Amino acid sequence: MADQSDVLRGTLDLLILKTLTLAPMHGWGISSRIQQFSSGVLDVNQGSLYPALQRLEQRGWIESDWRTTENNRRAKYYTLTAAGRHAVGDETANWRLYVGAVEAILGVS
Amino acid sequence: MSVPSAVKARVRALFRRRSADSELAEEIRFHIDAETAKNVRAGMPPDEARRVALAHFGGVQRVREEHRHVRRAQWVEDLAADVRFALRSLRRTPALTGAAVITLALGIGANVAIFSAVNAVVLRPLPFPDSDRLMTIGENNPEKQWHMQDAAPANMFDWRAGVADFQDVAGYFDNLNNAVLTGRGDPQVLQGTAVTGNFFSTLRVRPALGRVFTFDETFSTGTHLTVLSDAAWRDRFGADPSIVGKSIVLNGRTYQVIGVMPPGFAFPKDGIDFWRPFEYTAQDRGAVSFRRAHGIRVVARLEPGVTEAHANAELQTVVRRLQRQYPATNAVMGAGMMPLHDFLVGDTRLPLLVLLTSVGFLLLIACANVGNLLLVQAAGRHREAALRLALGARRGRLIRQALTESIVLSTIGGACGLAIGWAGTRALERLQPAGMLRVKSFGLDSHVFVFVLAISIASGIVFGIAPALWSRHRDPADTLKDGGRSGMQSGHTRRWGEALVIAEVALALVMAVGAGLLVRSFMSMRRVNPGFDPHLVWVGAVGLNRAYDTDPKMDAFMRDLQSQARELPGVTGAALAMNVPLTGASWTSDFVGFGRPAGDYGSEVQHSLVSPDYFTTMKVPLLRGRGFSGSDTPKTTPVVVINEALAQSYFKGQDPIGQRIAFDKVPTAKTTWCTIVGVVGNEHADDLATTPKIEIYESSTQNIANYMNLVVRTSRDPAAVTSSVRRLLRSMDPSLALTDVTTMDALRDASLARTRFLTLLMLMFGAIGLVLAVVGVYGVLAQVARNRTREMGIRIALGARAAQVRWLVVRQGLRLAVIGLVAGGIIALSTTRVMGNLLFGIAPNDPLTLGAVALLLAATSVIAAWIPALHASRADPSAALRAD
Repeated sequence: MADQSDVLRGTLDLLILKTLTLAPMHGWGISSRIQQFSSGVLDVNQGSLYPALQRLEQRGWIESDWRTTENNRRAKYYTLTAAGRHAVGDETANWRLYVGAVEAILGVS
Repeated sequence: MSVPSAVKARVRALFRRRSADSELAEEIRFHIDAETAKNVRAGMPPDEARRVALAHFGGVQRVREEHRHVRRAQWVEDLAADVRFALRSLRRTPALTGAAVITLALGIGANVAIFSAVNAVVLRPLPFPDSDRLMTIGENNPEKQWHMQDAAPANMFDWRAGVADFQDVAGYFDNLNNAVLTGRGDPQVLQGTAVTGNFFSTLRVRPALGRVFTFDETFSTGTHLTVLSDAAWRDRFGADPSIVGKSIVLNGRTYQVIGVMPPGFAFPKDGIDFWRPFEYTAQDRGAVSFRRAHGIRVVARLEPGVTEAHANAELQTVVRRLQRQYPATNAVMGAGMMPLHDFLVGDTRLPLLVLLTSVGFLLLIACANVGNLLLVQAAGRHREAALRLALGARRGRLIRQALTESIVLSTIGGACGLAIGWAGTRALERLQPAGMLRVKSFGLDSHVFVFVLAISIASGIVFGIAPALWSRHRDPADTLKDGGRSGMQSGHTRRWGEALVIAEVALALVMAVGAGLLVRSFMSMRRVNPGFDPHLVWVGAVGLNRAYDTDPKMDAFMRDLQSQARELPGVTGAALAMNVPLTGASWTSDFVGFGRPAGDYGSEVQHSLVSPDYFTTMKVPLLRGRGFSGSDTPKTTPVVVINEALAQSYFKGQDPIGQRIAFDKVPTAKTTWCTIVGVVGNEHADDLATTPKIEIYESSTQNIANYMNLVVRTSRDPAAVTSSVRRLLRSMDPSLALTDVTTMDALRDASLARTRFLTLLMLMFGAIGLVLAVVGVYGVLAQVARNRTREMGIRIALGARAAQVRWLVVRQGLRLAVIGLVAGGIIALSTTRVMGNLLFGIAPNDPLTLGAVALLLAATSVIAAWIPALHASRADPSAALRAD
């Protein structure tokens, strides 16, 4: 696939938020799930997840804390905040709007 | 996240980047390991699994950098947003912002002005290279209560030779003397001093032109050399580039100019025109006075790497040796050493410290007032805050915004304060009594800017922290539910407000007590009788040159000068004196009475030389016997007049008239005995605050001198006398010049000048502090009254009289004031002790001053409470009951 990182940077936040609506997760888990749910299409540079997580945390949409996994390892878990839950709805609507507009332009022959 | 952990996370992100970095590193490690494990489960061999996992992850370094970038960018963005928000909200409440800025500007401005003085005088090092290695050595004599006194030359040279730890030791006369420059048009008066040859090299200053003296040139070489200051070279010699090598005539003597110092070097005193070597002759060095005349300020440079303590130990060894070697002069003479800078600024430290404390308190009071203003504002904004919290804003963010707003406010106040402070600095420079602060211009250098920035930010935090934390204590839901009414004056806010006001009143009391003590000191000093009548007395000095080489010539001139001066228009009396009272000029001697047992001698008697008619001209009361007359000549019995202090101490219970004394400790066969012919009242030789010492006057017609001060009592303006005396002098001898012209009133004023200056400053700061504190009391009570309007209305509706309602408010104001005054009184009693040395005729813990000031503050607080009390008593009961 061509370099998808540009397209995905803007939408990465949305995907992370959406993933976290299900349950709190650590960084690797989020990346796995995105991969899983997109059936491998969104095989993103996994590292870019972390700056995105930092951004979302600073914006107050997610919060983090260190927990122990089932394998007894320490990992940083991220949870959606109330503000974040609101944001998911808004961002999703925005995304649909954006996609609709692009489709409309592409649909014109 | 709760507030504490949010704040912790913020601090972590700001200051301990490594920790946030290391957290990320651990996350990445976990991620890579998990991905590797997944690959292994998918069947890859471990090495390949890891390699693929890393590749899948992308550049680790790039991720870390971007993570860091996001953290930083967010912080900057937040800060910018906070600052913008702060400015907007400040603009929205111009009255509050204006009041806060003015209050802060006053407080900060005062601090800037005083700090710039402290910086220039105390903090700035001396303008010599390695000036911290420069020490000054003074003589200590417990018998005469000398401490760090000027030294005798012989002792200075012995210290120089005997202490290896001193790289070099030099000496100078601390007081400038006048020299008349002739041969270049009208005679001009130059000011200079004598120094040892190594003076400049010890200080490590190089000349701008020519050279400086060598150590050998301390002693007479036959030619007279001089070094000029830059100011003299420009003003008097037209900046002549070929001045080096030229000769000039000073006081009738030819000096060769060997060098010119660079601009800005004016040690030991500003305004110095020339330096010349002491030119000790062999005869000088053999005289007893070489080890006995204490007039030289000694400066020593420590060898590199040597400690002050070690050098002092060596010095004491030399001192002990001198005590044994020269028992006649040095038996009890010790020596002490201290850094030169400390010695020079020593007597300004205490006044500056007192001023700094006063303005520090002023700033705290200003902060308290602004804090109260912001508290009220925060209380008014709590609905907005609750809404924002409910909408998901983090408390940490809100606190940070509140703090940013207060810091922005205090920075604006600080900028205005800097302007006020700059003006204050200029005023201080111009109004300071001559030489009080030893530096002519302070300037706002980098130290001052850093200081302003620091106290602005500190003030912002101090008064901002309370309203910022206020938002912590309310659950937003409660606030939104009850419509925000009852939250207006939560107990928390009210208690903070009251605490601030109590603190303000306490500090204002301390400031006012300090000012009050100084005012009473000053008034006591003004009432001091100097021992003579200084009103309308003109003073000028005349020094004879080498043309007057015999006693009869000098005597004839001086007598002539006095009698002609008496004939000048408007003059009611004229006399001569070697030392003018209130100038601190002094010549002290030992003395002994005739027929006294051995050892019954006195030391440190003021030795004065005056002409006949001196006591009548100066209106010094003649208590017994007679003053001097023209018939006292070198051929008649030597006579002296003593002052009352001496009569009542050394001659207690006896009649001193007719008794004889000599200026010696131990009389010998060759001693000259003088007969006491009169007793006069005590004159203040030093200043008004110092108790007059014992004094013996000799007659200038018997002990003839070539330098005397002419004192003229006039019925007109003393300034007019100057031109007449100048004309008279010119007619008698055009080569002589009149110097040190002043009036006794001016000298008396100068004596009061320092205290007056300090008192005025403290009074000004104290007044501002008092006004701010009273405004603070008013503010808090007004707020209280506003919030209790409903309650007041109900009370009135239930039958309370207006006076009772008023009393409720006034009582609260009084309560706050009294607590503040008690606290302030305790602080005042413990801190004003420091001022002891600055006060005259009054103790630091004077209860009358404390009581009066406390009463003043209490009264003004009651007045401040009156307006809110009136408002409260006018509350419309029906409106109050209706309001919901």
